[in-house]
Amino acid sequence: MLRDKYHAVVIGAGIAGIRSALDLAETGSDVLLIDRAAHPGGLLSRLDNQFPTDGCGMCKMLPLLDRDTSEATCLRKGLFHERIDFLPATELSDLQGEAGRFEVRLKQTLQGVDPQLCIGCGACESVCPVEMDDPFNSGLSRCKAIHRAVPHAVAGGYVIDPVACTRCGACAPVCPTDAIDLAFDRRKEFKILVVDDELSVRDSLKEWLLNEGYSSVQTAASGADALTLLSQSSFELLLIDVKMPGMDGVDLLKLAKGDHPELMAVMMTAYATVDTAVEAMKSGALDYLIKPFDPQAMLAMVNRIFQENISVKEQQVAAGALIVSGGMVPFDPRTGVNSYGYGSCPHVLTSLEFERMLSGCGPSQGRLVRPKDDKPLRRIAWMQCVGSRDCQISADFCSRICCMAALKEAELARAKSGNAAETTIFYTDMRTFGKSFEPYRRRAEEENGVKLVRARVHSVVPESESGDPVVRYAGLDGRMHEEVVDLVVLSTGLRPAPGTEALADMLGVDRNAWGFFQPSPFATARSKVEGIFLAGACTEPMEINAAVIQASAAALEAGRTLRHSGSRLAEARQRPSAGGSADDPPRILAAVCTCNGRLDKTQEGAAMSADLTRDPAVINVQFVDQLCGPSGWASLEQPIERHAPNRLLVAACHPLRHHLHRRTMAERTGLAAHLMTTVDLKTDLLPPADNGADLTRREADKAERRAKLRMGLAYLKHADPAFIEQTPVQQRALVIGGGTAGMQAALAIGDMGYGVDLVEREAQLGGHLNWLHHTLEGHTVAPYLTEISDRVSTHPQITVHLQHEVVAAGGWAGDFHSTLQDAGGRALTLRHGVTILATGGEEADTTQYGHGTHPAILTQKAMERTLASQEEELSAWGAVAMIQCVGSREPSRNYCSRICCPTTVKQALYLKEKNPEIQIFILYRDMMMPGFSESYYTQARRAGVIFIPYDPQQPPLVDTSDGARVTLRTRDPIADVDLEIGVDRLVLATGVTPRLPGRLADFYGAALDAHGFFQEADSKWRPVDAHQEGVFACGLALAPQTITEAAAAGQAAAQRALRILDHEQLGAGHPTAKVRTSLCVLCERCVEACPYGARAIDPEQRRLVIHPAMCQGCGACAAVCPNGAATMSDHNAGQMLAMIDAAMG
Amino acid sequence: MQTATMEVNKGDVTASIQMLLGQLLSLEAFDAVMVSGRRPNSASVMPLLISAPELLDQADPLAPSFALNAARQVGHLTRNASTQRVAAVLRPCEIRAFIELVKLKQGLRDQVLIIGIDCLGAYPNGAYEDLARQADGSLTRQFIEHHLAGESQATDGASLAKACRACENCLPDGADLAICLWGIDTDREMILQAQTDTGREMLDKLSLTEAALPAERTAAVEAVVADRTRFRDQMFAETAAATDDLEKLGRYLDRCVNCYNCRTACPVCYCRQCVFETNLFDHEPLQYLAWARRKGEIKMPNDTIFYHLTRLAHMSTACVGCGQCSNACPNDIDVMSLFRTVAHRTQAAFDYMAGRDLGEKPPLSEFREEEFPEVEGLHWSEPQS
Repeated sequence: MLRDKYHAVVIGAGIAGIRSALDLAETGSDVLLIDRAAHPGGLLSRLDNQFPTDGCGMCKMLPLLDRDTSEATCLRKGLFHERIDFLPATELSDLQGEAGRFEVRLKQTLQGVDPQLCIGCGACESVCPVEMDDPFNSGLSRCKAIHRAVPHAVAGGYVIDPVACTRCGACAPVCPTDAIDLAFDRRKEFKILVVDDELSVRDSLKEWLLNEGYSSVQTAASGADALTLLSQSSFELLLIDVKMPGMDGVDLLKLAKGDHPELMAVMMTAYATVDTAVEAMKSGALDYLIKPFDPQAMLAMVNRIFQENISVKEQQVAAGALIVSGGMVPFDPRTGVNSYGYGSCPHVLTSLEFERMLSGCGPSQGRLVRPKDDKPLRRIAWMQCVGSRDCQISADFCSRICCMAALKEAELARAKSGNAAETTIFYTDMRTFGKSFEPYRRRAEEENGVKLVRARVHSVVPESESGDPVVRYAGLDGRMHEEVVDLVVLSTGLRPAPGTEALADMLGVDRNAWGFFQPSPFATARSKVEGIFLAGACTEPMEINAAVIQASAAALEAGRTLRHSGSRLAEARQRPSAGGSADDPPRILAAVCTCNGRLDKTQEGAAMSADLTRDPAVINVQFVDQLCGPSGWASLEQPIERHAPNRLLVAACHPLRHHLHRRTMAERTGLAAHLMTTVDLKTDLLPPADNGADLTRREADKAERRAKLRMGLAYLKHADPAFIEQTPVQQRALVIGGGTAGMQAALAIGDMGYGVDLVEREAQLGGHLNWLHHTLEGHTVAPYLTEISDRVSTHPQITVHLQHEVVAAGGWAGDFHSTLQDAGGRALTLRHGVTILATGGEEADTTQYGHGTHPAILTQKAMERTLASQEEELSAWGAVAMIQCVGSREPSRNYCSRICCPTTVKQALYLKEKNPEIQIFILYRDMMMPGFSESYYTQARRAGVIFIPYDPQQPPLVDTSDGARVTLRTRDPIADVDLEIGVDRLVLATGVTPRLPGRLADFYGAALDAHGFFQEADSKWRPVDAHQEGVFACGLALAPQTITEAAAAGQAAAQRALRILDHEQLGAGHPTAKVRTSLCVLCERCVEACPYGARAIDPEQRRLVIHPAMCQGCGACAAVCPNGAATMSDHNAGQMLAMIDAAMG
Repeated sequence: MQTATMEVNKGDVTASIQMLLGQLLSLEAFDAVMVSGRRPNSASVMPLLISAPELLDQADPLAPSFALNAARQVGHLTRNASTQRVAAVLRPCEIRAFIELVKLKQGLRDQVLIIGIDCLGAYPNGAYEDLARQADGSLTRQFIEHHLAGESQATDGASLAKACRACENCLPDGADLAICLWGIDTDREMILQAQTDTGREMLDKLSLTEAALPAERTAAVEAVVADRTRFRDQMFAETAAATDDLEKLGRYLDRCVNCYNCRTACPVCYCRQCVFETNLFDHEPLQYLAWARRKGEIKMPNDTIFYHLTRLAHMSTACVGCGQCSNACPNDIDVMSLFRTVAHRTQAAFDYMAGRDLGEKPPLSEFREEEFPEVEGLHWSEPQS
């Protein structure tokens, strides 16, 4: 059920879309989330494992504050949040209005199965006679035409594939909830006009269609007759013969479409005129049939058109802002210049297909065997950059995720095969950019035996006898090699999702040269249209970490628009009362679903009633036909009013889907949601009445259902109705560090109306922006600095503390206190609810390569300053060399600094621009040019910049004996020669080191990683949060990042902080930890066990205190506490013991 | 100084220990010492906290009596940081129990100087009372002589408590200062060994003569440990056989009256109130009837096995094997054997030994990502065919 108005509509429910939607919902906005697919999750719903954990962690995106607003369950099963409505199979069809007042038209394609009614029992699937390639498993396994869109999804459940389905009608009658609608009745009203000059064709078509249920078929023998009929009555579908005497089919089509643009048409043609038919499709025909045609094929086509026609549902909603998170799709190697055997050799798969093979719900249930012949995989080769970094197919960009994905897939293959599989990755540059990727590569290569081969793959051909693929490649030695393997995995690059072009046109948003959405300079989330924001991979192929950060930044920008346009309504939801006092005896109303009468009320139902009412706490038992959906729940409102229970027991299937029903019921009746529980009765497993399932089995099922009811009853009887604690929030923020990230964070929070204290230890704001000249993309930095530092300095909500440092601090989410000190030792103490660490980083220093011994040897930062200030000097230089990875990606500093390669390319291009004659040599290990920065790498090579790889075991040698010039000696491994290069300047890319004092992080309960960067709660799913709630980081203290990325991270940190600042009070969710102080001996085991840092000892009162909002109800404290001093509300020991007892009978 | 000799006059080890404690008090480094002893006219040996040096003649730390594991008493003395300092003479199992309590924040290790003694063991409570009466004040002396001579039976044939006979951890490893007796000519000397920095500092202050441990000590200790380990392993085998299913376990515990004495006597059971004494186990009358209906009959009081299993679950990883649970049982249930048998395996599973090292976290307080991979259910691996 849609609302008329939303604060925001989010287009695309992949990771970025979900993050944006949740961020907005958590800061009080109502969000409509739509996706073309039948389920949320996007590409990630098909990827089970993500590095670096090689597991999934999607659920870490779920709300940690106000967590009762959403069901805390696996996000792959579905997204259930009270402020988010998810509309599957939906696209935008029109947009009117402006920021703050958009009118959004949506087109939803119904999939034949009502997602609200489908309970996922699978009865339809078992009777469906049509098999097809399973799209979820990339066609590597088979499924029925009616199938689960995602095997683990709870919401949405089943869909019908419109192309494969023959409308045989077998499924609809077996559906227990009448969720399937094949609309046979409506075929009668579907008006079809057959136009053909041959009577036999007209007659047979009409007869076939009549037999299929289309009783409104008319025929015409010529174009003229057809036009007459069209003028007399309306038709939905025309079947037109192409070749007719007089007016031919195409002319008729044009005329007919001219008068009736909504008319659908299919051309019928002989082989000779196929071209004409194809031509006709440009004039608006939907498809064509080749004569002589099989009646079944013709009917299947008509059925499909009919179904698509009736299944489109148009709806309109109002929204204040739009976030586009349309995502990306994998490149299809068959469309490339070289398909590397994909499509022709069955043993060549794409990386997505291989991910499916690794999955437990994949085609081989996760067994590592070749899909075609079940041969165990012992030799697997990955080929990088298929469809990426390829100018021949207009893909002059890097897809960013494939290197890490290949490493992960290879690691998993090694692990799954018990290290029996040989895994080889053929690559050009292993792009392990950023702080956490390089250690993962090292682990894969050095500990887990993944082989990396730097090579250029020429082709993949099957070996003549075995059919095994042979990889032919040119190695670093310049020679050709061959390797026979069992399977080749193509690490396919990424492309904008289909429909991006049309969507961009509709929205008026620009796209870049490769079809991705084009954000504004320094602001990834901003499009050129006010009120429309961009999130995730629709702007550039990107990994989860970046998509999540960008999505939070987009949510922030959307929130800012909503606030400015006054449509940020953020009305407080009605919170039901706590549910009465603990002393009230339980009065339980029990409601049992009969699954549309399949539960035998007189027999089993009566027994259930007797069981339940034996307990005096049960005051009434209701049987409801369909308790899985909103209508069933609504029917309980009256009995609740009549019997005034203080607890509600619901027995129905799919308990996860009941979360929102409970919330709605709580709002409508005042009964607290945590005093309602749903037991999974698995009524979907009830056999149909005429099914002769064996008696013992049925009796066992019956016993299980009764046991579950008793358990639900025991749970509710011992439930604790007590009031949940709240803690007040200091609605101000402290941002430490006044660089790009810190300023953006401060502006974001200030713009939302909360006070910000911005602390900067230097005498001016701006950090590195003060010396950076321009970006790789050519944007000058100075105007950007002026713009944001002016805004910060004059912002009414922001207090800037220059030349101050934090010398002491403490507290926790919602209530921190920090003491600042200036150079004169004057101290100032602030209270704030959140802390953002944006303390930055600096260029690493080095003594390698003669740095510090010769004026011509300088770091990138020194070079940047030279570029900006001494232009005349540049023209005097004949040659410049640059060495990458100085002190980086080595055991002592085992990470990639991410920004040095782009900086090198930027400086090289600048030098070439100023002096085209200059010779530039870049000595590198892997050129880390992720995403679209790749195109500048291409530009540099085109401009004549010479790139020479070097082996870190034999680094280049520097000789400064030649006066002003520097001589470099290195080996070119490709040409296999020793080089000696004399240069005027040698630039060293020394990388970035963080500047986040451990003591400072410690004040706020944050931690540092092995390299001194801020340790995120999770590098992918919570990329700017500390483990401890209320503390966030952005900028170089978080990870090496570009200006634009730092700005996004600053906004993301601000958005995360706003979740807290938007509350006057932070409350606990259900369940939550409590402490019985009289039993507690302060052993602190629970304090150590708490993964959320929510417990502490109050030293003054010598008692244990719990932060109500930081507690996530995991129960680790209760598990380690031996005597029940640490307890869980809603999962207390008494409840658990009673439930176990109830289960035993 | 690492090791020093202290004179023993004609085998009177107790007198030398009393003298040592007197020196500690007179150095004014300590406000009091806690040591097991007997008040005048009392046969019972209990921990005494002595601040008056002249009352040190009551100290009798080697008496073959072990009515109380004093770890919790040390905990009470060291709960908060303060400038007051105490020394405590403890048996090895008391030291280990105290270290467990420190891990559980029930005491502060550096608030006490621990003096440990090679533990010769003790008689069961009842047996000690009888023997002490018969020996008329000379029992400790006789006991030391016999046991240091390698005889495990007392003069009258009484045997050490089962826990002591099965105790292979009889050296005071966690003490600051160890008083070594085995393998040493205790007729004329005992050797003090510093085992921590605090111990070394103290030894330096005591103006003793430096002397190395005699070479014979190793063999003497090994012999004791081997003997006790043999006994222990047999006890493990017998107990395991007697309790290896729920029915047998029920029989093993069927005299239990839910008095919870074992948990009161247990030095590491540190809860203020046991969960079994809280309202969680206040069942409704109807509940008992429901249970009886389901099973036909139930033993009253019920929750007995549940209680012991819960205590095993909570505390077996902290069990130091002191045997006080068996001492405390009014119905002579051999609780110690059950606890040690289970504890041996639970502690081995985590490569943990209760009281061995203050730096080792209690297993159930610590999360290790790579733990018990053989029982993790999430990793599929290709069947080896």
